[in-house]
Amino acid sequence: MASNGFFRGAIEIARAMGVTLTALTRKPVTIQYPFEPVSIYPRFRGRHELRRYASGLERCIGCMLCEAACPTGAIYVEAEENDPANRHSPGERYAKVYEVNLLRCVFCGDCEEACPVEAIVLGHEFALAAYSRRDLILEKEALLNPSEPMVVIRPE
Amino acid sequence: MSDKASGKAPEMKHSPGQPAPTGKEPLPANKPGGASAPGAGGGAVPAKPEAPANPNDVSLTIDGRSVTVPKGTLVVDAAQKLGIEIPVFCSHPKLDPVACCRMCLVEISGPRGPMLQTACSVPVAPDMVVSTETEQVRAVQEANLAFMLLNHPLDCPICDKGGECPLQDQTMRYGPGISQLVEPKRHKNKQYLISDTIVLDQERCVVCWRCIRYLEEWEDKPQLGLFERGGATLIDIQPGKPVDAKTGGNIIDICPVGALTNRVARFAYRPWEIDRTPSICTHCSIGCNLRMDSRTHSVRRIVGRENMAVNDQWLCDKGRFAHGWINDAQRLQTPLVRKNGNLVAASWSEALEVVASKLQSIKKTSGAESIGAIGSAKLSNESNYLLQRLFRSTIGTNNIDHRAGADVAALPTGLPALVDLMKPQYGPDPKADVVMLVGVDPSEELPILDVHLKRAVRRGKTQLIIVHPRKVELTRYNGPYLGCRPGSEALLINGIAKLALKQVQNSHTAPADAAGFVADATKEALRTVCGVDVDEAKRAAELLAKAKNAVIIYGPMVAQGEQGKQVRNALTNLALITGHGSRLAYVGLEANSQGCRDVGLLPNALPGHAPLSDEKLRKTLEKTWGGPIATKAGKSYSQMLDGAGSDLKALYIMGANPASERPAWAAKLDALDFLVVQDLFLTETAQLADVVLPAVSWAEEDGTFTNLERRVQRAPKAVRSPDSKAASDWMILDHLAARLGAQWPFANVHGVTAEIAKVIPAYHGLTWDALGDQGVQWDAAAITRAKPTMQPVTQETISTDGYSVIGGTVLYDDGDLFAKTPLMQNMAFGAAVGINPADAAKMGIETGSLLKVSSAQGELILAARVDPSVRAGSVWIPESLPNAPVGALRNGAAVPHVEITPGPKSAA
Ligand code: SF4
Ligand code: SF4
Ligand code: SF4
Ligand code: SF4
Ligand code: FES
Repeated sequence: MASNGFFRGAIEIARAMGVTLTALTRKPVTIQYPFEPVSIYPRFRGRHELRRYASGLERCIGCMLCEAACPTGAIYVEAEENDPANRHSPGERYAKVYEVNLLRCVFCGDCEEACPVEAIVLGHEFALAAYSRRDLILEKEALLNPSEPMVVIRPE
Repeated sequence: MSDKASGKAPEMKHSPGQPAPTGKEPLPANKPGGASAPGAGGGAVPAKPEAPANPNDVSLTIDGRSVTVPKGTLVVDAAQKLGIEIPVFCSHPKLDPVACCRMCLVEISGPRGPMLQTACSVPVAPDMVVSTETEQVRAVQEANLAFMLLNHPLDCPICDKGGECPLQDQTMRYGPGISQLVEPKRHKNKQYLISDTIVLDQERCVVCWRCIRYLEEWEDKPQLGLFERGGATLIDIQPGKPVDAKTGGNIIDICPVGALTNRVARFAYRPWEIDRTPSICTHCSIGCNLRMDSRTHSVRRIVGRENMAVNDQWLCDKGRFAHGWINDAQRLQTPLVRKNGNLVAASWSEALEVVASKLQSIKKTSGAESIGAIGSAKLSNESNYLLQRLFRSTIGTNNIDHRAGADVAALPTGLPALVDLMKPQYGPDPKADVVMLVGVDPSEELPILDVHLKRAVRRGKTQLIIVHPRKVELTRYNGPYLGCRPGSEALLINGIAKLALKQVQNSHTAPADAAGFVADATKEALRTVCGVDVDEAKRAAELLAKAKNAVIIYGPMVAQGEQGKQVRNALTNLALITGHGSRLAYVGLEANSQGCRDVGLLPNALPGHAPLSDEKLRKTLEKTWGGPIATKAGKSYSQMLDGAGSDLKALYIMGANPASERPAWAAKLDALDFLVVQDLFLTETAQLADVVLPAVSWAEEDGTFTNLERRVQRAPKAVRSPDSKAASDWMILDHLAARLGAQWPFANVHGVTAEIAKVIPAYHGLTWDALGDQGVQWDAAAITRAKPTMQPVTQETISTDGYSVIGGTVLYDDGDLFAKTPLMQNMAFGAAVGINPADAAKMGIETGSLLKVSSAQGELILAARVDPSVRAGSVWIPESLPNAPVGALRNGAAVPHVEITPGPKSAA
């Protein structure tokens, strides 16, 4: 029964061609990064950002809980007492030094989980290449002023 | 609690839930029968404990297990012995129970069935049955915590106690989990300073009274109190009166929450981020045990560490807060060599080469006798031992000394009985029933001794006799106080001896020939020359004559110079007459005053207090050191400095700053051919040096220190700056020795410790490992001392012109180290002169007016500080004041006399 086999084969090929043809008409999924913007899932965990209150004061209180939570020892915090005349944060305490070592970070998000004031969050920036190791240790200034604020606060 | 601290230091956190084993033990732990608990009785039915063998012991059952403890033990401590933890807040092993927090409620069965009682205040009773884990107990614990947390702020993330907080721990373990409070919390003062160094947060306080009780029971200074009632209850100071107790910082350690925090260390550490190094304090000769908490190469905070033979668990505020100098930015980082008149940075090899070649050439041209070395009682045994080894053997001179070294009339073995002085705090019988203090003011000079003495007086009925030209704080205990004219101590003490002789005549212990030696000290002389009340002297004599176990302590203030020897003689007479010959002690005031003498940092003694003529020791030393040792006695500290530039050509100064003491010495040091200074900072002396070698502090290298009662203790390396080129003393001296042609065998500083333990008989066996965390006291019997005999005493005539100067030291001085902690500067004594109100009124001056204080040798402008404790006719100018070289007035006189005239108009 060769004709039977022939037809069956032809149908299969046609079906496969159909898949191909529908795919041809579909919009491609490949994105021409960096020429085109990438859409990112809301819960994506990228480079860290330190947030501020609407008043401009820093949220971080320098409690070092993120440092304690970090499984890789990527965070280094030094706290200091606020000078009431020249406040950094609303309470008694603020972070004088805040550093994240992106070479160590595994983007696990434990730091944002630990933060009691939602100051440290993992943003959406993922293009984190640099020419020197030093450039991958982000200091407070860099963390407080992300190039674009891209932050999602996760309710959990 | 997560704890990233490295494994190098043992976990020493002392939670109040787990009182330290040595805490409130009314009887020694080795008491037979009191030591072990019967292991049986683990079942649900409480086994009736067997009656204990010792009638002073009591057996009871806790959670079905029986335990035998000494009578009077509190239930909480008995449970602790079984390893059962009862949560507490107000109970503390070092404080009397008040039972005010109700956290420790347990069920104790009584005649009417089980009742809730506070385990921290109920003493054990025979056949008592205690349950700590019933439903009812759990329920009250939970409710209790819920009440405590009602108004407790949600401060954990910003609270310095967070991570080591009993309230956090107990809430996690016994707490309710959720809060039922929906209303706003009560607000009280936060960030409220109760002293320059202690911050109070009234919202966090759980009103446990520990701070109040510490200040009352130990310091005897009720400076904190409870105000208001009910939920509004506050801890507060009296208006305008900050806590100024010298050991007030201890309330920070014992506060079970973050209500009292350390302002110097504020926000500088997190308990899970620090390395904990068990070390000791080097601000005074008590040698308190402390824990140094460090992070990223810097010391973040200092807390007390328990050592029941030294400081219990307390620290004074200088020891706790004044550590800023360790990581100060002005620390020397590289060697400096003088080129064209200026000190410029140099490499180690260049600097050491200059030192070695200069010393060699001076030795060749002027002889070894023209070279001298000054060490320091602030530095370790190892540093000082090597300094004297280098100069005794390699250079070949005995010109080796330290401040308050050969210039004071000391005794070799230090205080006999620090532990005895502490005993009355924990048991009823005083071990030392009379303590006589001659020219020492523990409140300013040895603050933890002060705390021990106060406790001994109040709990052990110890009597204090005080001889001091200033009415020092401890005179408030109404013991005999003899405020003699400065400089007349020798006569006064001989006078007391004479009076005592009459008292002891019946029960006799006095040497037969005693009367002849004390004949001059008539009552008349006591009245006119010393200016004391003869009845007080009689009271003192009587106490000493009747005492079973007196301790007589004298300090450097009265031991200076020629008259100091007379004071020592007079004290020897007094001790012999009253039968306390072995209990007379000289205490040096600096951290290693005792150790410096032990390791031979003296011009007239070899290591181990042996005279230079000791052939046997000399042989051993020459063999170990590989060369001959100079035989001629050297010059003392003051002789070297007085002779600097004339008969002394070169001086090597390690850790001392004589230029700040006397302007005359600064000029002489400048005239030296060659001056080397090895120090932490560019001190006044270092600025005059030809070569400055940067050293490291006690926190940055292992070392041992010997405290005032001969306890050798370890101070291990805790931090080290990675940027600095500063080197350890032993390493500097070792390299220098190599350049001078000696071969030293040390691979590390422990090798030096081992050599000290080998060559000094008293230190046999005291190697680094053997010392442990609690130190070892060397045996006074290990050094041979001539049996004390009666000594002739002469009193030099005391001039009555002008004002006589009272010296001594104050805790908050302006020493090079204290000055580097800015937060404490308001507490400092300042450039001031203490003056009696009567004298002040005569001249019409008040506190703050500037005075010109002048003597034949120089003059100083100082602010007046009207102080009734100062004797009329005297003025009080302690050592080490800012810009006030008291030596400018002194010039060698033990008790200088000065004229006082109102100075330039003060701004105030
Ligand atoms: S994301 Fe994870 S690894 Fe990275 S800094 Fe935060 S806690 Fe550390
Ligand atoms: S980022 Fe958050 S967790 Fe980290 S120190 Fe600041 S406040 Fe604390
Ligand atoms: S301040 Fe601290 S020690 Fe004092 S009562 Fe309050 S909680 Fe207790
Ligand atoms: S009493 Fe002395 S040893 Fe103790 S902490 Fe104070 S200064 Fe240091
Ligand atoms: S610990 Fe017993 S009442 Fe406070």
